[in-house]
Amino acid sequence: MLEQLLIFTRGGLILWTCKELGNALKGSPIDALIRSCLLEERSADAAFNYDAPGAGAYTLKWTFDNDLGLVFVAVYQRILNLLYVEDLLSAMRREFSQIYNPKRTAYGEFDETFRQLQKEAEIRAEAMRKLKQAGMAPMVLGKKQGQAACLRAGQQGGGKQRSSSNGGSGNDEDGDDAEKRRGLVDNSSNGPQNGIKESRASSAVKGKENGPPDSGAFDVSKLQKLRSKVAKKNDASTASKASNKEPKKIVKKNRVWDDSPSESKLDFTDPIDERGDGIVEVLAADQGESMMDKEEIVSSDSEDEEGGETESAKPIARKKGWFSSMFQSISGNAVLEKSDLQPALKALKDRLMTKNVAEEIAEKLCESIAASLEGKKLGSFTRVFSTVQAAMEEALLRILTPKRSVDILRDVHAAKEQGKPYVIVFVGVNGVGKSTNLAKVAYWLLQHKVNVMLAACDTFRSGAVEQLRTHARRLQIPIFEKGYEKDPAMVAKEAIQEASRNNSNVVLVDTAGRMQDNEPLMRALSKLINVNKPDLVLFVGEALVGNDAVDQLSKFNQKLADLSTLPTARLIDGILLTKFDTIDDKVGAALSMVYISGAPVMFVGCGQSYTDLKKLNVKSIEPDRRKWRNILRPATSDFLQISFLKIMTIIRNLQD
Amino acid sequence: MEQWVYHIKQQVSQIEQWIRQQPADQLYIAIAAVVIASALLILFRTFNRSKANSIILAGLSGSGKTILFYQLRDGSAHHGTVTSMEPNDDTFLLHSEVEKKGKIKPVRVVDVPGHSRLRSKLDEFLPHAAGLIFVVDALDFLPNCRAVAEYLYDILTKAIIVKKKIPVLILCNKTDKVTAHSKEFIRKQLEKEIDKLRTSRTAISSADVSSEYTLGVSGEAFSFSQCHNKLSIAEASGITGEISQAEQFIREHVKL
Repeated sequence: MLEQLLIFTRGGLILWTCKELGNALKGSPIDALIRSCLLEERSADAAFNYDAPGAGAYTLKWTFDNDLGLVFVAVYQRILNLLYVEDLLSAMRREFSQIYNPKRTAYGEFDETFRQLQKEAEIRAEAMRKLKQAGMAPMVLGKKQGQAACLRAGQQGGGKQRSSSNGGSGNDEDGDDAEKRRGLVDNSSNGPQNGIKESRASSAVKGKENGPPDSGAFDVSKLQKLRSKVAKKNDASTASKASNKEPKKIVKKNRVWDDSPSESKLDFTDPIDERGDGIVEVLAADQGESMMDKEEIVSSDSEDEEGGETESAKPIARKKGWFSSMFQSISGNAVLEKSDLQPALKALKDRLMTKNVAEEIAEKLCESIAASLEGKKLGSFTRVFSTVQAAMEEALLRILTPKRSVDILRDVHAAKEQGKPYVIVFVGVNGVGKSTNLAKVAYWLLQHKVNVMLAACDTFRSGAVEQLRTHARRLQIPIFEKGYEKDPAMVAKEAIQEASRNNSNVVLVDTAGRMQDNEPLMRALSKLINVNKPDLVLFVGEALVGNDAVDQLSKFNQKLADLSTLPTARLIDGILLTKFDTIDDKVGAALSMVYISGAPVMFVGCGQSYTDLKKLNVKSIEPDRRKWRNILRPATSDFLQISFLKIMTIIRNLQD
Repeated sequence: MEQWVYHIKQQVSQIEQWIRQQPADQLYIAIAAVVIASALLILFRTFNRSKANSIILAGLSGSGKTILFYQLRDGSAHHGTVTSMEPNDDTFLLHSEVEKKGKIKPVRVVDVPGHSRLRSKLDEFLPHAAGLIFVVDALDFLPNCRAVAEYLYDILTKAIIVKKKIPVLILCNKTDKVTAHSKEFIRKQLEKEIDKLRTSRTAISSADVSSEYTLGVSGEAFSFSQCHNKLSIAEASGITGEISQAEQFIREHVKL
């Protein structure tokens, strides 16, 4: 049954809550919904799942009234598959928007209206359930004849009472046997009781308890197992929604951990080989300021182009005729409908995709924008397109604004005070530039008087240790290495111990590149992270990557979560975007990665030298935005010609 | 393109001819009307801009800004609040002053959401700010201490705050609870944290956009008294409506 129903403004004031459902919620699902769903441009999702810290898992559904700035949220137990919730929410929105007044803050009389609405919604859901069950009846009969009678009795008992929808609403998941069976049990157990009790919230529990005596041959343990499976499936499907659609990548086959050539062959790490030394000149931190410290606007152009150039989709379908739409745009009364938004959103989505934003992300963003604009009134003298574009710009800005502090130096100092080294682990797929950018980060830290130590935990790829050693020599920083074929987790652990002995403030851990589907390697990485508990897990990703960005990041996160032995898994904390200099204006990968992981872009690698490390500066977008918009406005002859021809035809029509 | 230019030229010459045909009086009147209208518009704009009469509520998410906003406006917490997604912006008479007689000017109070993704909204409102109330959760202070200090540091180093010397009130909220920390404790902790932040941030670079100004005197431990703008600290409780110190602050800085 419903646990909680809320109506609140976008400003955060609760206007109305259902008093009958005075159940105390465990945790704060509403705040979690707003923080991790609505503010992350995921408001187009169907539902939000929340696991309370104690026991209990909730599902939340919501709907917006964008014109009035209201949000309607319903909270219910996840195991109850309430189907009428969406129906109820939209009915509530309809009714509430009529009595809403921005000056008022209490709506006591809505209680009555709500009761009415709830009744109607439940009846509708009941009718739908019956309709579906009528079609399914022969099958059910064939399967479990003994229970069919029971079911009918339950239905009849329920039909009279409005509380009857308790088990029934769960019933509608056609193909799902478990759900169906649960419905049967609920009905059979509650049918007779309906007259006495109205406590619907406990129906599921009751079904579980009363199950055996009422439905003789029914195996309860099996039922519970199935039920938990369903719940789990629901969980998983929302969690890995992103990754599921992508076709599975071919796993690299020729990489095997165990039967590789003997150690002596690969292990060149003994300091006998000194040839490299003579050539490598020692490089103190004097190659100039690392670009991290120079004011540089990396993302602004991308950002605004994404929003700005899309104007080319000017001819938006106008069904109502030029004059009436003109009038509406002046008076500012046009209400945005989904059909109005579609062409503009389509154009925006295409635009995003040409900028290398993963398709899935572009789609989700557009849906979320649509959800936030639908029903809004168009302001005076604005076009649909500019409204959509403004909303998109705001959304992009919001996404790229970091959620957590990206001030690494501050964290380093904090760790120093505690007398611990600050550990950064670099992870990523093969060949994205982990070691190179690790060296750049080391250079940047050195410039800020931080003692850095490198840990060569890529014990897999030949030459990896030598590569790192070369960087260490050039930068004159200590390196901790144990050669190849060692357990990277142990190497990292020893490196951290060594660092606390020789007063290093930061340990940069280089790991082997791995494809996100490679189970054994992901397991090794998970172990490394679990054992050493680094302060920062930095995902190194190429800016060149397109649709694969989603797959890489979501799988890395997923694997780290799945393979973790700790109750709270460490996930990716930040992103280092490499090869940013090669992509021109196709910066979509940054957006895809941030959207999918929620982690901020902490560094941007943009060249081959040590100084080529920047930070993504979202703040400086603002003043630039206007400039870009003007430049990108299609003031080309094309545009002018179209509008001129249009005006001419209109004048001609008027004369006729 | 050339075709285009030709078209335009034609149009322009047509318009010119048309204008020549009109009587001179009408033209003068039209020009005068345009001039007056634009002058009015400019006047209105500048008049509107120079006014700094709003009080801004800032602070971390969950510190109680929205409750405070409604306590100031209506004197009631209503049914409670959830995380804000948009700023609350209203101009009103303070609830405690509604009864008072005489001429009272309404105050514009803006509650800026504390969620880090929405903090950039703060910059929109700062140009109109007459004062800023930084709300701190006194109950849950220690785990959030660093985040609070960082946000406060960002605010205190904003160019507009330093230049216009916008007064800041650090309001320790939720003091009705027994386990809430005292304002003295919070002040000391914040000063200590900001001192650390200062060393790390100034070390970072001259070009870090977020810190436009440096705080305090270098070589000395930071204390709030070193700030150029007025900084005070007070206690309040949004739930119970014990907000007299906040109201006092507002009245000090928004003239009656």
